[in-house]
Amino acid sequence: MTRFGRGRLRRILLGAIPFLVLGTLWQMNAVYRWLAPIHMPPPAAVWSAIFTLQEGCPGLLDALRQGSGCLLTNHILSSMGRVALSLLVGLPLGIAFGVLAGIHRRLGNALEPVGVFANAISGIAWVPLAIVWFGVGWRTTLFILLNTVFWLVFFNTLLGVRGVPRVYEHGVLALGATRWKVITQVYVPGALPSIVTGIRMSMGFGWRALIAAEMIGGDRGLGFMLFVSAQEYKTEEVFLGVLVIAVIWMLTDRACLVPLERWTIERWGLVWRPS
Amino acid sequence: MSSLSVARPDLLRSARARRFWRHGGLELALVTLLALALWTAISASIARPDRYLPSPVSVLDSSRDLLWKGILPNYLGQTLWRLVTGSLIGIALGIPFGILVGLNRTVSEMCYPILNFFQSISGIALLPIVMIWWGTTEKTVFVVVLYTCFFPIAFSVLTGVRSTPRIYVNALRTLGASRLRIVRDVLLPGAMPSIATGARLSIGYAWRAVIAGEMLAGRRGIGWMIFSAQQVDRTAQVVLGMALIGVLWILLDRYVLRPIESDTIQRWGLVQR
Repeated sequence: MTRFGRGRLRRILLGAIPFLVLGTLWQMNAVYRWLAPIHMPPPAAVWSAIFTLQEGCPGLLDALRQGSGCLLTNHILSSMGRVALSLLVGLPLGIAFGVLAGIHRRLGNALEPVGVFANAISGIAWVPLAIVWFGVGWRTTLFILLNTVFWLVFFNTLLGVRGVPRVYEHGVLALGATRWKVITQVYVPGALPSIVTGIRMSMGFGWRALIAAEMIGGDRGLGFMLFVSAQEYKTEEVFLGVLVIAVIWMLTDRACLVPLERWTIERWGLVWRPS
Repeated sequence: MSSLSVARPDLLRSARARRFWRHGGLELALVTLLALALWTAISASIARPDRYLPSPVSVLDSSRDLLWKGILPNYLGQTLWRLVTGSLIGIALGIPFGILVGLNRTVSEMCYPILNFFQSISGIALLPIVMIWWGTTEKTVFVVVLYTCFFPIAFSVLTGVRSTPRIYVNALRTLGASRLRIVRDVLLPGAMPSIATGARLSIGYAWRAVIAGEMLAGRRGIGWMIFSAQQVDRTAQVVLGMALIGVLWILLDRYVLRPIESDTIQRWGLVQR
């Protein structure tokens, strides 16, 4: 398959049509005033909202240093920093505990309902309690995100490790492998497709939960920006925020998570399973 | 005859009980007890447990008042009603939409990116805009839940329809089947597994959207209950609401959504590709 064949070009061109139609309708609405600008701001206003928010920001370096004038980039960096931190902490913890629980059959059976229950209330339902514990601020939002990421990764790792056929473990053990070798050579590779699915799910649910948590219990971040702008009826900033949220998620999902998942399943997912 | 009818429920109960204990029932009971004990111990050892972590007993105690006044059933009913209406209408609109779009290759290639785009804007992120449009009304929550439900299901139906092997469609077409016939006999059964999986996923998203919508738009319901209880410092009610949210979702998932999904996959999912 060529990387940029005719089929791909055709798909891109066809896929652009609905976006163009929607954009045209949006612009026509700005010209003919079908809906009031406070309900549906014109595209130009959304575009200029970027510059209004970034007014006091002299340059790229200042934006990266989170200078006080760079409102938009600060909110973006703040949200994404929390995502990075929760991945850095939540992933290793989730995978480690998941593998540990998955190896021990009884422990796995015992911890499975805990995972089910934790996943059932993960995300937004924790926000009020997190506010009581940590107050309004970054710690609450980080807690919500970590909570979502950890339990989903833990649960999927547990299921993945349990699904690895015992034959492989026995085979490797019979060849004289140590316990550690069994974990790194059998359990983790065998569970990888499930782990990666867990990571993708945790990002999907976690990103949504983060936005919601920032609205209710945060003091910075994209969700907070949306909420404050909406309260001040700055609809163009709300639109900008929603677009930024969608673009960030699409880029992460399409450019990182989906290829990662596909590659893992191709590489490790199609092992033979004894019937 | 009479001895049989007496003996049978007994037999059933013991068989069911044995199955329960063998399939992790003992572990479940132990873990629940352990978690409750741990919770009690933590809440007994911290300062001001009423504010930070009320003990299980006081959480249960807080439900008495709510139950007696009829607030809790009312809130639960409202939340479930929002979830059911929003997600059922969303699914009922999303499935035909996905099939219609999936019928034609050009149309489906055209709509795939935009559906993907709207699917990645979560309903919760749209809530502030919808609140500017319609204020904190019932309509706001309903629209957000509908939106949250519609796009994931439409997207997965579209993917399901497109991944049905063309050879079946062509086979029916050479036998002279009409379009309607192809939809009914090939595309719909072929898309059934992805419809079921998509429905479960989108109801999962909708459940979170209902909770968030109640919190932010201030409509009475279980999400609103935990949000407002936090504001007046009644942490016991917050924990009670969280536990109810978890239990409700597990019941819904285990006894409604998952059986539907696994039955569907069992019935339609094992088609040769």
